[in-house]
Amino acid sequence: MSNIEFSIDDKKLEALPGETVLKAALRNGIDIPYLCYHPCLSIAGNCRICLVRIKGRPGFHPSCNLPVAPGMEIESDCEDVSAVRKNVMQFITLNHPVDCPVCDKAGECKLQNYHFKYNGSASLSIDAKKHKPKFYDVNERILLDAERCILCSRCVRFTHEISKSGMLGITERGQQSRVEHLESGAAKDDYSDNIIQNCPVGALLSRDFLYKSRVWYLEPVASVCNGCARGCSVDVWRRKHHWKVRALGSEKNRMAYRITAKQNDDINGRWICNKGFDLNKQINDFASRATKPAIGGMDATCQDALSEARKLIFEAKKPAAIVSAHASNEELEAFKKTLGSRVEVYVRKDYEPAAGEVVEDELLIKADKNPNSTKVEELFGKESFSAAAGHDLVLVWGDNVEYSALSGAKIIHLATQKPNGNPDVLIPISTQFERKGSYTNFEGKVNRFEQVFDKPELVLHASDVFGRL
Amino acid sequence: MNGHRVFFTFDITEDCHTLDAYKKRGGYEALAKVLKDGLQPADVQAEVAASGLRGRGGAGFPTATKWSFLAKNSPVYYLVCNADEGEPGTFKDRWIFEHTPHNLIEGMVLASYAINSRHSFIYIRGEFDLSYKRLMTALKEAYAAGLVGKNIMGSDFSCDIIVQQGGGAYVCGEESSLLSSIEGKKGYPKNKPPFPAVKGLFQAPTCVNNVETLSVLPWILRNGGAKYAEYGTEKNKGTRLFGISGHVKRPGMYEREVGYPYKKMIYEDCGGILGDKALKAVIPGGNSTPILKPEQIENLTMDIEAVAAQGSMLGSGGVIVIAEGTCIPTLLQVMTRFYAHESCGQCTPCREGTTWMNQIVTRIAKGQGKAGDIENLERIAKGIMGNTVCALGAAAAMPVQSYLKQFRHEFEYFIEHGRSMCDGRLEI
Ligand SMILES: Cc1cc2nc3c(=O)[nH]c(=O)nc-3n(C[C@H](O)[C@H](O)[C@H](O)COP(=O)(O)O)c2cc1C
Ligand code: SF4
Ligand code: SF4
Ligand code: SF4
Ligand code: FES
Repeated sequence: MSNIEFSIDDKKLEALPGETVLKAALRNGIDIPYLCYHPCLSIAGNCRICLVRIKGRPGFHPSCNLPVAPGMEIESDCEDVSAVRKNVMQFITLNHPVDCPVCDKAGECKLQNYHFKYNGSASLSIDAKKHKPKFYDVNERILLDAERCILCSRCVRFTHEISKSGMLGITERGQQSRVEHLESGAAKDDYSDNIIQNCPVGALLSRDFLYKSRVWYLEPVASVCNGCARGCSVDVWRRKHHWKVRALGSEKNRMAYRITAKQNDDINGRWICNKGFDLNKQINDFASRATKPAIGGMDATCQDALSEARKLIFEAKKPAAIVSAHASNEELEAFKKTLGSRVEVYVRKDYEPAAGEVVEDELLIKADKNPNSTKVEELFGKESFSAAAGHDLVLVWGDNVEYSALSGAKIIHLATQKPNGNPDVLIPISTQFERKGSYTNFEGKVNRFEQVFDKPELVLHASDVFGRL
Repeated sequence: MNGHRVFFTFDITEDCHTLDAYKKRGGYEALAKVLKDGLQPADVQAEVAASGLRGRGGAGFPTATKWSFLAKNSPVYYLVCNADEGEPGTFKDRWIFEHTPHNLIEGMVLASYAINSRHSFIYIRGEFDLSYKRLMTALKEAYAAGLVGKNIMGSDFSCDIIVQQGGGAYVCGEESSLLSSIEGKKGYPKNKPPFPAVKGLFQAPTCVNNVETLSVLPWILRNGGAKYAEYGTEKNKGTRLFGISGHVKRPGMYEREVGYPYKKMIYEDCGGILGDKALKAVIPGGNSTPILKPEQIENLTMDIEAVAAQGSMLGSGGVIVIAEGTCIPTLLQVMTRFYAHESCGQCTPCREGTTWMNQIVTRIAKGQGKAGDIENLERIAKGIMGNTVCALGAAAAMPVQSYLKQFRHEFEYFIEHGRSMCDGRLEI
């Protein structure tokens, strides 16, 4: 089928077959306001901010539910339409508390933006606002400020159509309407945090991010979740350089404030799972980081640790290496080039599913809890370390390893986390968030991550280490 | 003219609702004619088209045309009878259930045959107690007599009628939310398109018709569409049930040919205004239809186009008569409270607007009205009108707009003096 010609505000446009006016407008860079519409959810058509006119037809029509017809002439920027938008904004803000100064969504709230753009005038109501519950418990991760909710039903539709927990519904009717748990829905939803991001206003609040920072102090850095073999695209939010104020304390300036899903239609669409949203806990967990080189359990300089490791490899009769499924494509290539032929290489998954963790589901979560098993296997096969092979030295690259399984061989450990015990040489290496690189996910799709923070002083990048051994 | 009756053809007795009584007055003859004489569904549709029958649920859409919109070549079709009767001032469908439920059942089977529905539904208001009981008894009788169910009257045609009791929400009378409600979901109206005729109940093409609309079909099929078309006016055929309430001496249910004069109905048939007061206003077709002043009904007849020409609607035919001395702002308060309570809350203008209007009108009716209130009410009603998912928004806005237009001075007086011109009275 060929494209359909139509116009918006006298601009000639083409819509794809079956497209709605709103979709076609947005794709062509025309800004029709919308609140309840979300490209991944069913059309609710309830907010009514997207109303437009069709030339020659009476009344206003919700552009989100209006299929484009050939020759259709849409008016989205005329006086009547502006008046309707203004009216709708008046209705929306009638009982909304407009507490932007204390709202986490301020700065990225659609309602706030539209108020400036389309309404801009004070409330016409002289009566008291209707108060609804503040901080209603959605679950252990999310709070709902029902007063701020504009009942767009995006969150409800998400839990019914995407995560399928059916957790939320809208109870009561008229102005009493509010979002609540559905008795018939599941209590748990492994994707629940997406609704925070998808709430167009600040009604759904992350307990983790609550009151942590104004969003305009922060900036997103594109990264990849390392929680499973899906390798979802995420944004890691750090404090903007400009706002790194000394008095705040260094930890606040080197903190991942929150994680949000980053749209990547090839890999994760617009969603990530709650494990992805918890990535900031991993990034901010400084206490368990390996930050100092050591030889036999004693702190050492980088120089000394590297020479000792070099010596051990040189002396070993049958050296082996175990590579990490958390290493990036670039590091794995570097390893292969520099050390790969000098040692026997085994592969190892750093993480297995933890107790209680969702092993795999139909939406995103994969059973392999490592981000780069695909590349590791492509370069080094599938063989895992066997004590029976009689290696006298093992270079372990990765975390979570039990030394007892290495049958008394000498150990050089390249770790991001403090190990369980003392290897012969410990070389702390940077985490994914302290360098750039890419992972290859379970479908063979390569996904890049950027550097979010600088590495600690005594920590080395793994790829820099190999050439020096 | 004006003497013809389709429903009021029998005496109301203790057992006029039974199958026996219905059969004695010619009941199920139409069905027998259709099924035994081998009339095709298209023939039934043609007969209904010839009758010029228009829906009695409120909008007055031609019934046969509505049937013709059903998507073609679907494996399944549904017929749904809208027996929610939610419009305040309207009580005609209840009369049919209580006195002649077989009329509806026969009409349902005929319509099901015409549109090829094998499972048809009756969605009946939860509060209708006697109606429900009479319907269920009648349905049992009809099943036992082979008039509903498998191989009706020995023919190839089978059709079940499933009765669903609603929860008593006004919005569930709106056809798309009615369908959601039957599907077991919250009674939220749906955005159109798609229309039920394309994607309705359980995603199948569906036709929703009012009780009265369906109950007329046996008469039309028995006597012929052409005969029916002889009654009424040029564009509005047949007779209608009019429920008259308010300040008249003999309120109740009347059947009249379409085109009957309002004044004759009020002053002759209903015995005039209570206490022989003067007429103040008439709500011509249920709560939500714009209010008319006495001079507007002077020569007005009960017919869709004529009422529309006066800026109102014949709607569901529920006429509310209001006598001089009634306080219009207080009346509007009752109306706005109803809509604020009944708004489903799905779409912004209606959810917020209906309560906002009620808030302002209530303030005025308490003597606490402020300058600007009237202008705000007008602005809110305009903001709701036509901008909502379903027509409940318009139903809520129309009384506000029309009361303010017709009786603005009463509102102004109330705001200025803090009290009613008519002592806040609704009763006479
Ligand atoms: C808020 C609202 C309430 C309605 N309530 C009823 C009702 O109680 N009964 C009814 O027959 N139609 C009602 N309607 C109209 C129906 O949506 C629909 O038009 C009607 O059932 C069609 O039947 P008809 O073609 O036989 O008139 C209502 C409409 C709206 C917007
Ligand atoms: S909580 Fe947010 S997403 Fe959910 S209905 Fe309210 S405004 Fe919409
Ligand atoms: S699905 Fe996997 S990669 Fe995606 S967010 Fe969850 S744990 Fe991370
Ligand atoms: S107009 Fe009112 S009743 Fe209809 S969908 Fe909107 S909120 Fe619900
Ligand atoms: S975006 Fe169209 S009605 Fe909400």
